[in-house]
Amino acid sequence: MKWFINSLMGYWILLLAISLGAAALVYQIWLKGRI
Amino acid sequence: MFEFLIAGITVPVFLLVLVGLTVGMVGGFIGVGGGYMVTPALIVFGFPGYMASGIDMTHIAGKGVVSSIRHRELGNIDWTLALTMIAGTMLGVELGVRVLVHFKGLGISAIVLLITSVVIMLSLFIYTQLETHRAHKKLDQLTREGKEIGREVQTSNLPTLFQSIPLSPIIRCRHARVIISMWVIVLVGTATGFLAGFLGVGGGFIRVPALVYVVGASTHIAVGTDLVEIAFSGSYGALRHSMEGNVDMMAVLFMIGGAMIGAQFGSIATAFVRGPAIRYILSYSLILATVGAILRLLYVMSGQNVEFLSLAAVMLTLGEMIFLCLFILSLVLFAVRHRAGKWVPDWVKSLVI
Repeated sequence: MKWFINSLMGYWILLLAISLGAAALVYQIWLKGRI
Repeated sequence: MFEFLIAGITVPVFLLVLVGLTVGMVGGFIGVGGGYMVTPALIVFGFPGYMASGIDMTHIAGKGVVSSIRHRELGNIDWTLALTMIAGTMLGVELGVRVLVHFKGLGISAIVLLITSVVIMLSLFIYTQLETHRAHKKLDQLTREGKEIGREVQTSNLPTLFQSIPLSPIIRCRHARVIISMWVIVLVGTATGFLAGFLGVGGGFIRVPALVYVVGASTHIAVGTDLVEIAFSGSYGALRHSMEGNVDMMAVLFMIGGAMIGAQFGSIATAFVRGPAIRYILSYSLILATVGAILRLLYVMSGQNVEFLSLAAVMLTLGEMIFLCLFILSLVLFAVRHRAGKWVPDWVKSLVI
């Protein structure tokens, strides 16, 4: 876990994973069926 | 939920405010309009394509003005550079649109556009990422040696090359601290305007690296100066789209509500970081937009049959907005902690002020 905070690459991957998860949540709750 | 009578659809209001807020923050920080993120998002919400472009352009105009005012207060705008470049940009956009019409006549515009987008964004990403990585290492070294560092460090030799072109008139951009041939700036405006007109985007993601790596302006000045261009081009685009009836003003109002706050925060956030931090965020934005464009290219090439590709592109667009905002927010948070003498990761220390 420390690697995700202490290296730029790790932090990049951590934030991207959180962001894609949040995007999936937004899609599931509000956008599914619209596309 | 709000019913947009002109567009004839119902959309949760907070999603529009959120898109305005996030893209406003990113735009104020890296100096882009964000059309490549907003237009696909609005289409996903159900707005027709032509209206998505109109709403996007109108909200970019408002956001551009707010960001420009804030960056002017921060001393990040060079008016000589901005006004000289606008002349070239207008010529370039006109040329780009004409070439686009030619390709449309040949019936291959969608694929040509996507391939061109991918090639340009990928090239810009690779160059920006490599140079910023070198600058970051240099910053780390200077920090370790305990030397005083300004807010900008860049390692490219290209600005020296372009500044040495002896073509009259040579102009002095006082704020940017650059002395360069006027024709180089006009050419940069024309080339970036051409690409913007051809690809149908504002062009901030091309102009900011061009201002840094060709003209030799600092990243902060490049961001502020580019936002002036965006305010001009966005206002003209908003006027044209409004005349064509492509704008739902209620949607614009909700988006601008979010963008006003986001753009101010993004602009102020630049005061907490050094140039390479802004270039890192710009390069991340470029690579995520490139992957999104590759997915859309594969979707078009598959005859629009593989729905997974279209869905993945949508998810990536939404994810990109959230990712860039989280990164900017965390950089500001790290900067505040660093100023207070609290613990921050080692890689952050040289990137924040």
